[in-house]
Amino acid sequence: MAEMIRKSSVAEVINHWILAGSCMLLMLSGFAFLFHLEPVGSVFGGFESMKNVHNWLGVVFCISLLISMVHYLKDAFEYDADDVQWFKVAGGYLSHKVKVPPMGKYNPGQKLYYLAIVGAGIAIALSGFGIWLMKDNSTVMLLSHLVHNIAFLIFVLAVPVHIYLGTLANPGTFQIMVNGMMPLADARKKHPKWIKAIGRM
Amino acid sequence: MANDNTTNRKSILVTPELCIGCRACQVACKSWNQLPAIKTKNNGTYQNPPDLAAAAFNIIRYSEVPSQENPVRWLFVSQRCMHCDDAGCMNICPTPGAIYRTAEGAVATDASKCIGCKLCVQACPFNVPRYGEDGKMSKCHLCFDRIANGMSPACTKTCPTGALQFGDRAELIAAAKKDGYGTIYGEQDLGGLGSVYAFKDEPKLYGMKENPQIPASVVFWHTYLKPLSAIGLGGVVAAAAIHYLAIGPHKDDKEV
Repeated sequence: MAEMIRKSSVAEVINHWILAGSCMLLMLSGFAFLFHLEPVGSVFGGFESMKNVHNWLGVVFCISLLISMVHYLKDAFEYDADDVQWFKVAGGYLSHKVKVPPMGKYNPGQKLYYLAIVGAGIAIALSGFGIWLMKDNSTVMLLSHLVHNIAFLIFVLAVPVHIYLGTLANPGTFQIMVNGMMPLADARKKHPKWIKAIGRM
Repeated sequence: MANDNTTNRKSILVTPELCIGCRACQVACKSWNQLPAIKTKNNGTYQNPPDLAAAAFNIIRYSEVPSQENPVRWLFVSQRCMHCDDAGCMNICPTPGAIYRTAEGAVATDASKCIGCKLCVQACPFNVPRYGEDGKMSKCHLCFDRIANGMSPACTKTCPTGALQFGDRAELIAAAKKDGYGTIYGEQDLGGLGSVYAFKDEPKLYGMKENPQIPASVVFWHTYLKPLSAIGLGGVVAAAAIHYLAIGPHKDDKEV
């Protein structure tokens, strides 16, 4: 068995799935509200209880998002010259022939994705609380309704890309979100700067 | 607009000039809909209750408009849900069946399906939806149960002067114009209202809202954002599939 290295802590993996699970259910119920999907409503026990589930899952999502900031926010704000070069070759996703610059623990695509989730997440959470708790304030309601739907659109566009890149597009990546481990040999190729920094090169 | 009710659409025609302010319409509405009385205070006007309420689907607005020629001019305007053709409340409601269009063109409600989110209040250009203590929306539903059975709404049935008439929308409007009412309020607004008003003076004098519109953010959401979320989802899933087939996943073995 190949030597493994821990890329994500147990806390990161658990929190990732709380965030992902709540997010998926929120998006599913969100689509049901938006397009009157009665079968989905029935799964949640009707639209009234789906509203309650949606609201409280929002609280779970919120807490999970805050915890994730402890895990990823610092990394997500740090970029270097290799990251710029990474964008120039589109991360190697549009051609297998280009040379992808050496990466640290996360590539800039992942970092920007995380920042998009944080930004849209904060927007969707605050506006969600506005719709939930400030029903009699017209300005808050109308603004929240608009912001909630714009942020939802960002989630709808970003999350499927994240799922694709974390599974089919990058074989082996999903493993990291199962037990946090990846083969050391792979890590040396994909994340040379990170492995150097922790002295395992 | 979206509704195929231009040919058989029914509506209420309100002619404030014929209204004597007897409030029989308010009583008939309460009677048919089994709505409780509301305890109110005298605040110096005959208007009672002071506004639409969860237990008051229609009211008569009493407004005094004194002028040089007529120092005691008193206007009575019967007010209820406008049953818009392009109904903001229906557009924004997240629950199927809570607010729905009847075959006659009425915007009817089903309180048992309402989830109490109060978004309809924000989307209504006329400030009509009300929430009772049960947390459910209520408003005039054009007596959808009566009109579906060939009867007229309770308020129009009881009106003794013809200030409230119910019937084929196009016919009512044509008749009002023939009778010399120069301004038909709601003929075109919001795709055409289901409660239309016949005036000889400016509607503004009677306290009618000028140029009623669904809030711009709600229109923007309904027209662009909502469809975009479905198109966007399909788009990114399709893009991922095309990428997988055309370019394929990262192959680490071939690198270095």
